[in-house]
Amino acid sequence: MIKIWSMKKNEDAAAKKKPKTSAAQIRVQKDLTELDLPSTMKTNFPDPADLLNFSLTITPDEGMYRGGAFTFSFAINTNYPHDPPKVKCTQTIYHPNVDLEGNVCLNILREDWKPVLNLNSVMVGLQYLFLEPNADDPLNKDAALEMSKNRDQFLNNVKASMRGGHIKGTQYDNVLAR
Amino acid sequence: MSSQSASTSNTDWPGRYHHIDQVLNSPGPRTDPAFLAGDGVKDFLRHQAKILVIGAGGLGCEILANLALTGFKDIHVIDMDTIDISNLNRQFLFRTKDVGKPKATVAAEFIMKRVPGVKVTPYFGKIQDKDDNYYMQFNLVICGLDSVEARRWMNATLVNLVDPENPESLKPLIDGGTEGFKGQARVILPTITSCYECSLDMLNKPTAFPICTIANTPRLPEHCIEWASVLEWPRVQGDKKMDTDDPEHIGWLFSVAAARAKEFNIEGVTWSLTQGVVKNIIPAIASTNAIISAACCNEAFKIATSSAAYLNNYFMLIGTEGVYSYTFEHEKRDDCPVCGGEALELTFSADLTVEGLIEMLVEKQDIQIKKPSLSSPKSQIYLQAPPQLEEATRPNLAKRVSELVPNGGEVTVTASTLPFSLSLRITYT
Amino acid sequence: MAESLNIENATVTIATDAQPDNKTRRYDRQLRLWAATGQSALENSRILVISGSATSTSILKNLVLPGIGHFTILDNEKVSPEDAGNNFFLEGQSSIGKSRAEEAVRLLAELNDSVESKADTSNLEDILEKNSSYLTSFTIVIAHNLDPKLLDRLSTLLWSDVSHPTLVVVRSAGFLAEFFIQFHEHPIIESHSETAPSLRLDKAFPALLDYSLSLDFETMDPTDHTHVPYVIILVRALEDWKKSHEGKPPQTYLEKKAFKEGVLAMKIKFDEENFDEAESQAYRCWTETTVPSEIASLFQYPALSSLSPSSPPFFHLLAALQKFTLEPPYTLPLTSTLPDMKANTTSYIHLQKLYKARAEEEKERFKSFLTVPVDDSIVDTFVKNAHGLKVLRGRKWGALDADPTALANAISTSSKQVAIHLSLSALTALIMKQPGVAPTIEALTQEAQSLLPPGSEFPEEFSDAVGEVARAPTADLPNTAALLGGLVAQEVIKMITKQYVPIESYCVVDLVETWTGII
Repeated sequence: MIKIWSMKKNEDAAAKKKPKTSAAQIRVQKDLTELDLPSTMKTNFPDPADLLNFSLTITPDEGMYRGGAFTFSFAINTNYPHDPPKVKCTQTIYHPNVDLEGNVCLNILREDWKPVLNLNSVMVGLQYLFLEPNADDPLNKDAALEMSKNRDQFLNNVKASMRGGHIKGTQYDNVLAR
Repeated sequence: MSSQSASTSNTDWPGRYHHIDQVLNSPGPRTDPAFLAGDGVKDFLRHQAKILVIGAGGLGCEILANLALTGFKDIHVIDMDTIDISNLNRQFLFRTKDVGKPKATVAAEFIMKRVPGVKVTPYFGKIQDKDDNYYMQFNLVICGLDSVEARRWMNATLVNLVDPENPESLKPLIDGGTEGFKGQARVILPTITSCYECSLDMLNKPTAFPICTIANTPRLPEHCIEWASVLEWPRVQGDKKMDTDDPEHIGWLFSVAAARAKEFNIEGVTWSLTQGVVKNIIPAIASTNAIISAACCNEAFKIATSSAAYLNNYFMLIGTEGVYSYTFEHEKRDDCPVCGGEALELTFSADLTVEGLIEMLVEKQDIQIKKPSLSSPKSQIYLQAPPQLEEATRPNLAKRVSELVPNGGEVTVTASTLPFSLSLRITYT
Repeated sequence: MAESLNIENATVTIATDAQPDNKTRRYDRQLRLWAATGQSALENSRILVISGSATSTSILKNLVLPGIGHFTILDNEKVSPEDAGNNFFLEGQSSIGKSRAEEAVRLLAELNDSVESKADTSNLEDILEKNSSYLTSFTIVIAHNLDPKLLDRLSTLLWSDVSHPTLVVVRSAGFLAEFFIQFHEHPIIESHSETAPSLRLDKAFPALLDYSLSLDFETMDPTDHTHVPYVIILVRALEDWKKSHEGKPPQTYLEKKAFKEGVLAMKIKFDEENFDEAESQAYRCWTETTVPSEIASLFQYPALSSLSPSSPPFFHLLAALQKFTLEPPYTLPLTSTLPDMKANTTSYIHLQKLYKARAEEEKERFKSFLTVPVDDSIVDTFVKNAHGLKVLRGRKWGALDADPTALANAISTSSKQVAIHLSLSALTALIMKQPGVAPTIEALTQEAQSLLPPGSEFPEEFSDAVGEVARAPTADLPNTAALLGGLVAQEVIKMITKQYVPIESYCVVDLVETWTGII
């Protein structure tokens, strides 16, 4: 064998054994402990020992979704941050960019995800959807149509849906913040 | 040595190593002076070296054959897959009759039958099934994988294996990868050179389409296929897991995608494209695999024998237009989560509390750390945020570190002031 | 994007409504690179490999697996103990003493039932003397470490007629190797160029221009406004610009800047990504679409001036292309391949239809310039790939070594590659002069010196290369053989399928420092 070890003598910093915590795990720890969230966002860990599965609740304090509490599940796999976190809305909500299955249309969750992004960027992105819903590239087409054609009706629908009302045959979850 | 000679005399015939021995009997102009030409190096190669091959697929089949012919006699191979008909255009140790059997086992048997005296030990399973003791037995590891995740795991495992007290713990990792006419081979000396994680941002990510495009404004056949697999499958099939190897599942996705394409006047949804998109199929041919595997095995041979300098440290090949290749040194990253960052040996009293350790870290002038969060490989010790986790880990502050971390144990420290993380190895007085 | 197009091509002949058959499944991963047309070219090819060495069988393995039609190994040697140690397509000691061609063919043939194979144990010298038409009946002939006298005769024979097979010469010793492809000319339609064809925004065809002018950006539905494809935005913006600038596109830096600002000013909401896309693609408006210089240079090709009905279809197509480009709009025919862009389905599909219709019209016009009948599918492929056409011109084997001036020039441009080439040439020459004698560095250096013009210097890497050659003059190392096997097979596949771009001359390999290079 080539004498690799002798090369190591010349390297001062590297010759230390490192812990077996996975890169994904450390990265999640770093992301979570450095979160810089406004009071309108709160994380919840069903099992505080499991950093890879948790939820985020957003309670917008302005905009048309003010008064609601919207919950998203985060599932992070061991290939993070190469793979983005999997994020879904756990409630049935009336929003142009969230479909009835809870899929969310946010570019950095899919096509624009990069390992340099972090959980904070995703959370801030999600909150932005409630402040500025985008009717141009919708997931819930009916909601988007209403939003661009008849804004007053849309606002009414948002309010009604948040109380758990029916809109066009769909029953939405009551998401009013208690 | 004597028992070895007895067992190999049956299989080694005069002249067997005529070709290889030419480069083992004398050095070349660029060979390191430390090279010991002759019997010593041959004995190491043929009777002592133990090499691990990860993957028995396109690269793995080639790697096994090359290693066996160059004189490695104790080869282990791990692969969790079984043989599929689409492997047969390049994975040359497999035949039609082998379809469905484990790749590792079939490959090992083939090599042992074809190259006398070589022992290939297969493991049909995951690399994650094996522990550090297992990996410690090898001199070298060659990876021929197509999964980023498996490579990250293998790389991190070998970096973590390096023990400053034990030279044998440093296992060179040789990694190869191909895509169509393109490929790369690299040599990683864990903790010394750039590692796999250091270059993670060089990877091409598979194309992902905006989910709203898929849902509402499809333009390409791929958009229709993603609609079927990402949105329609979970909606219609519920919790049923999609198996992209199941022709019935592909058939369903194809028909759903084709119907949508028809509705939107989009052309080009085919069975083959459906399969390509949902399985993220990367084109693969025998010739590129042969080039990259040979480059990997050549590095393994040179490292094991010192008969010639080894690659420093990255070889990239593009064969679409002429033969273009680029050999360069990929730089180690200081903020690499796996091989970068500082590591500290700390010795303190078994009575020191977690709070005391944190104070100690904050006061250390040379590392300038603020608000550190601590964890052991098994659990969180103390996290500064978010509030719920701070609260959950707060009781640990009063505990003694020795209650949570064994002697010689490890602690990972993160803080916004660190490039990535800091590793502690703790000894109690 | 390029890959998805390939996939589309690959599957045109595959039934689209059912699971593919076993053959298609077996070849799936390669069909995604060279499609059914490439596969059928492979299946119709006949390869002759001279010698059953480790390198030869490695090359063949990578050709049998993807499914060439036929291969023959020509080798009159018996398997030696040395052969049995380094060749994966021999069965160790049990093969020793048997015909090397027969053993290797038997074990290679196992790799793919659909490939026809033959072991030929006759003597190459006899064949060259008595039956040279046998040699010219193959598609490609590959020779590894062949005796230089025979190689000379073989290369001269194959060079003597343009229709004769391509010859691939492979030489290796220890960690060093090179190979060379001998061919007269090699036209390529499907080069799989990574440059996209022009969308011709600066010369918008009438239907495209009319459509962009028909849109009323100001009163349009806001959702539609956000989904107008950038192609339309730019055609319109350019037309509007030209009206106020004497019919000229933006020319100066300031004008270009103003044009881009104008495009962004068309937004009605700040987050309209289609207008951002238009701004980033605005250069297309002032980059005049002309015939790319690489394509224009093909029109100078001698074969075009002496075109006869029996000339290969490629040159008839090229001649028609030249005529096409001599008329307005003085461009290549339009291709219907539209990149993906921010748009809704209706506007994108409409745009795609406009491009398709126009491409179809231009193809018809192109066909009117053809003077001989050419198969429609070839015309389609030709027009679609017109922006990436290539014609490679090769040289005869040995031309470089026979020209000391060229060799000296090559030293100044690619010295480390030439160092290896010279060392291998010296080795071949020396083995011929003194068979069975181990070549010394001194003898090799002297031999190499005789190839160079008197008084010229060796490349600085020469001593490294010649030292390696002297160290392992007859070593066919398994790793070197396997790497060459991959590289050579790759180039042979490119030659046979006429897809992608093969090398034009020497490819040199150094497995000490792990690099490849071209002379």
